[in-house]
Amino acid sequence: MSLTKTQLKKIYTNLARADHFDRRMEARMLQGEMVGFYHAAKGSIAPGVGLCSLLNKDDNLSPHHRAHGIAHMLSKGIDIKPYIAEHSGKITGCCAGRSTYHFSFPDDKVYLMSAFIGYSPTLAVGWGWAAKRRNQKQVVACCTGDGTYSQGRLHESLIFANNGKLPIIYLCENNGFSMSTSTAHTHPVEDFADLAKGYGMPGYVVDGQDVFAVAEVAQKAIKRARNGGGPTLIEAKVLRSCSHSVGVPDKDGWEERDPKELEKEFNARNPLRIARERVIADGLFTLAETESIDEDARKEFDAIEVFSDSGELADLTVDEMLAEVYA
Amino acid sequence: MAVTDKNREIIFSEAMNEAIRQEMRRDDKVFMLGESIQAPTYPHTSGLVQEFGAERVIDTPLAEAGIHGMAYGAALEGYRPIIDFMSSVFSYYAFAEIAIIAGQQYFMHGSKTPVPMVMMGASGTGHSLGNDHAMAAYGTYLHHPGTKVVYPSTPQDAKGLMTAAIRDNNPVMFQWHSGMMMDRGEVSEGEFVIPLGVAEIKKAGSDVTVVASGMMVRHSLKAAAALAGEISVEVLDPRSLEPFDMEALLTSLEKTNRLVIVDEVYESGGFAATLSARVMEQGFDLLDAPVVRVTLPNMPIPAGALEAKVLPNPASIEAAIRKTCACRLTGG
Repeated sequence: MSLTKTQLKKIYTNLARADHFDRRMEARMLQGEMVGFYHAAKGSIAPGVGLCSLLNKDDNLSPHHRAHGIAHMLSKGIDIKPYIAEHSGKITGCCAGRSTYHFSFPDDKVYLMSAFIGYSPTLAVGWGWAAKRRNQKQVVACCTGDGTYSQGRLHESLIFANNGKLPIIYLCENNGFSMSTSTAHTHPVEDFADLAKGYGMPGYVVDGQDVFAVAEVAQKAIKRARNGGGPTLIEAKVLRSCSHSVGVPDKDGWEERDPKELEKEFNARNPLRIARERVIADGLFTLAETESIDEDARKEFDAIEVFSDSGELADLTVDEMLAEVYA
Repeated sequence: MAVTDKNREIIFSEAMNEAIRQEMRRDDKVFMLGESIQAPTYPHTSGLVQEFGAERVIDTPLAEAGIHGMAYGAALEGYRPIIDFMSSVFSYYAFAEIAIIAGQQYFMHGSKTPVPMVMMGASGTGHSLGNDHAMAAYGTYLHHPGTKVVYPSTPQDAKGLMTAAIRDNNPVMFQWHSGMMMDRGEVSEGEFVIPLGVAEIKKAGSDVTVVASGMMVRHSLKAAAALAGEISVEVLDPRSLEPFDMEALLTSLEKTNRLVIVDEVYESGGFAATLSARVMEQGFDLLDAPVVRVTLPNMPIPAGALEAKVLPNPASIEAAIRKTCACRLTGG
């Protein structure tokens, strides 16, 4: 079992798009074009691409909040225009401008984002239960950071999931920090993947800087889930090359993280550069073709911005909103 | 709505069981999950696993947030789950999910994707069990928009409201008083719906309106009986607290001009306070006396013999009625 050339090309293209979109979203945040927060990914954009490029439209996805799941969303084939418009509070947004960065795309089985970290693993159980009951070989991708793995709800989810042999892929994108708290201080062992053993499911540690390595493991987990084998826990070790949230000081405990060191680390393990070297070496793309992919990503985001900027801000009266609280 | 075939008496729990059973037969998207519901722990799940199988009557791990997440995820996928929290207050272990995330999902995501789910559980003052079993959890959920809240007082209401709750496209918190589970009453055999948000006058009267839900209806009827011939008491049972039938209350006040609110939760931040304020805002001219509230005092509900000291009861409701009726407007 291995990835086809078509899959490898799609994964690389999605990574280039995600990398570019992440930088553009950060810029929009700094320009005041987006509402709320932006949690940039710089350096940790690859795992979502590796897993979600292999999902089907009718698979469930709960994206990680890092880069607001842009890697996951575009890799699953979701229309990014209403996603960005939602981030700007526009009526053309996917939630009519009510949710900003807590977007949803129910037709693509992305139902919500929440600031309650740890909300998604228990929901994944419900989606997995429904998928199993329908018996149409759908899977659930439950993508979170390592912070979720501090929540008791994660434990609840893992026991439900393997009791029911539910088709869930848990992707823990471990960047070593919950905001400014080092994971080394909050988790007693080095690998979250070790948890899998206690719940009777396979667990893998993978280099999250290598999108193809993530995809190889994800492919195995997805196949297992589609065939009724049950859940898998994948831990992707990633860098955190920027602060938790745009505009927030980047600290480890009370100490500033050294920007020069972070930049050096990022340059050495930049996931897009690693992937580009691989696709060129393997003859999947020429350098010129990768440049053209970058250019296409730029144009694609330009069009997304035009869509978002031309939309009206959501504007409802309180009475109009009150009428829409209940279904 | 008119219900005609009241031809036998069953207990409150059997009435809930009948509604669940009829809805599970009618719609295969309906399923039930909770801790030890197959056993059954309470009689309202009796026989369900035998009829519908363990795939639709699911015994879960002891994990309220996990149970809620499983139901919520399934609801988003078009299923219609019924969670049995056993004691309604155990739902607090899934509080953020119920009150904020699932409860407000529909509006926050553009009012497109409904979240049909029923969350049921008993409340239980009167058994001397202490705060963890006794606390009625409905007041807390009323504070958070997005979740409907039902609190029936008779077997007939329990069946009709449960049917409505299961067919509703919103999260519905369906709670009942554990002291009423074995209450016997006339219940219609077939399927029927009592719409949420429609109050019922449980006893007509002309001097004072008492608003009460669940066990408090029974206590209020006792107080009304004790005052018979002296004060004519109208007992209004809203049956659901969200939505609340404000029209029925204002109509009653046009006749009685006096109001007592009996609320089996804390005084502070409680529904009685909210309702009292709403009546002042919407019906101040109807009132001839200040509204009187009968609630739990702002302290933990003690276990053992002390519990009875803090609970609203027929005597405290009677005293509240006397208080509001003793107040006469003077001057003019």
